[in-house]
Amino acid sequence: MRGLVRVELTRLRWRRAVLLLLLACLVVPALIAAATLWDTRPVSEAEKAEIRAASTQEIARCERKPRQYGVRPARAEARCPELVVEWQTARQPLSLARERGGSGIGVAGALTVLLMLAATTFAGHDWNSGSMSNQLLFRPRRGRVWAAKAVAVTGVALLTAVLVSTAYWLTMWAAMRARDLPVADGGLSASLGLGLRGAGLAAAAALGCYALTMLLRSTVATLGVVLAFGFATLVLGDSLPMSGQWEPLDNIAAVLANGTEYYVHVPPSCYDGRYAQGRAECDDIRELPLWRGATYYGGAVVLVGAASVLSFRRRDVP
Amino acid sequence: MPDLAIQTQGLRKEFRTRRGTRVAVSDLDLAVPAGGVHGFLGPNGSGKTTTIRMLLGLARPTRGTMRLLGEPVPDRLPAVIDRVGAVVESPKFSPNLTGRQNLLLLSRSIGVPDARVDAAVETVGLSGRDRDRYKAYSLGMKQRLAIAATLLKEPDLLILDEPTNGLDPAGIREIRETIRGLGAAGVTVLLSSHILAEVQQVCTSATIVGHGRLLATGTVEDLLGGSTAYRLVVPDLPAASAALSAAGVPVTEQDGALRVETGDPAAVTRLLAARDLWLTELTPVRADLESFFLQLTEADGEDAA
Repeated sequence: MRGLVRVELTRLRWRRAVLLLLLACLVVPALIAAATLWDTRPVSEAEKAEIRAASTQEIARCERKPRQYGVRPARAEARCPELVVEWQTARQPLSLARERGGSGIGVAGALTVLLMLAATTFAGHDWNSGSMSNQLLFRPRRGRVWAAKAVAVTGVALLTAVLVSTAYWLTMWAAMRARDLPVADGGLSASLGLGLRGAGLAAAAALGCYALTMLLRSTVATLGVVLAFGFATLVLGDSLPMSGQWEPLDNIAAVLANGTEYYVHVPPSCYDGRYAQGRAECDDIRELPLWRGATYYGGAVVLVGAASVLSFRRRDVP
Repeated sequence: MPDLAIQTQGLRKEFRTRRGTRVAVSDLDLAVPAGGVHGFLGPNGSGKTTTIRMLLGLARPTRGTMRLLGEPVPDRLPAVIDRVGAVVESPKFSPNLTGRQNLLLLSRSIGVPDARVDAAVETVGLSGRDRDRYKAYSLGMKQRLAIAATLLKEPDLLILDEPTNGLDPAGIREIRETIRGLGAAGVTVLLSSHILAEVQQVCTSATIVGHGRLLATGTVEDLLGGSTAYRLVVPDLPAASAALSAAGVPVTEQDGALRVETGDPAAVTRLLAARDLWLTELTPVRADLESFFLQLTEADGEDAA
């Protein structure tokens, strides 16, 4: 089995499309990091001077009528230039807490999509080229072949996602230190935790996509199913009569954010103030813990994986 | 080594289609003796490739039993697969990898040292081109690479499905010589081919199938021995043809002569002489596998219709 996994890792390493997608797993988060650092960069004195020079009319208007700008007349001369500069450089300083709800989610999402593509490309190529039958002529134990490929795909996806996520958050933390910004207690570990949960989600998604490709035997069909699922989630999600605990996006949020909340429709009687207080069914905000989200997606991967293994073991191979 | 390298009993494969069930292989009893080169003949769609795919575990039989090198398959296929090399239909490799990389992936999956890849590449004459991408190969080179892959295992049994497809005449001769050499060295080769002359030249025994059924099997000599034809020339062809037909001798008119199928040419001369029809020529027609094959498959086609 170990030998088969090594072969599959070599196959993965030699497949150019997969390598390009893994490279994109480095480049895209690097671009997100660069954009984040740029958007939160401190305002330099040169930049302030440039803005002041370009906004002389606005500053003069503020000094003439400071109250319209919310400035006390006594402080107009000092405050107006500052205020105009602040308006034009409305940049928030870098904050790990803020990025955990912003660019950190973007990184986890990008890694998930790219690793899903890598997994389906890897498996789909064996079917498209017909080389699967050749492989089985050398190793006919289909369950082992399936498992070796799954281990290779999931292992590479997990390793890539963990390394990239960790590097991302360490970069953000280092940038904050370099900018002399305060880091809240536990801020780094919370960010690294989000990165690790995101990496787990990305690896599970890659495994699911691999299993689906082995089931459908086509990259195109797999991408079609995934896109249809994404479309149903994003476009039809709100119009379907589905409780929040079953909504894919809420469950993703539960995994990434270590638990989340979702809204439920409460009975009309709850709006009668006399009875609503203290009734559990009138609480329109419910907890969706991490384990529920993990079970939701883990269950889906197990179901697809089981169908994929059964199908691969039983169906004729072209 | 068992007496039979390949054995099937009551092998059947049905495919479900939109129009119903299609039978690709019907109760096929195949027996390929160990050692030598065995031809596997049949027209397109006769079930040859499906049979091979079932033997190699790529397709599941609907029913029936199969043995490879004495082991029941597919249950014990993993135990014998390292002794079985096979090329099924067209060669199938990853197009973006080089020929060498494709072979390395296969050899490493069975724990064979990389040096054997070099040996296999040299044996099939791909040295110097093995580092080219597979997609840049000609059909002949792809075929050679597929044969090189079978040699990675140093097999006791080689199953080749149309191995000379796409090769140039020199390549065809090389591959035929390789197959003959392997047969002589004790490797059992099952050669599925539509080139009947190839089977006749290379094989010691053969099985002929049609519509998924066994039509004939045996040594090539025995198969040809069952078909004896003579070319007759007489001045009055219609009268001679009528006389022979009336006597129940299969006769056809061909190129100003009659072709009769008989094991007793003396009886034919006596019959015609009795009707005052005098032969000017009586020549044995050299039996070949092609005529025998066509005769069998045409008869099978009529039966199937």
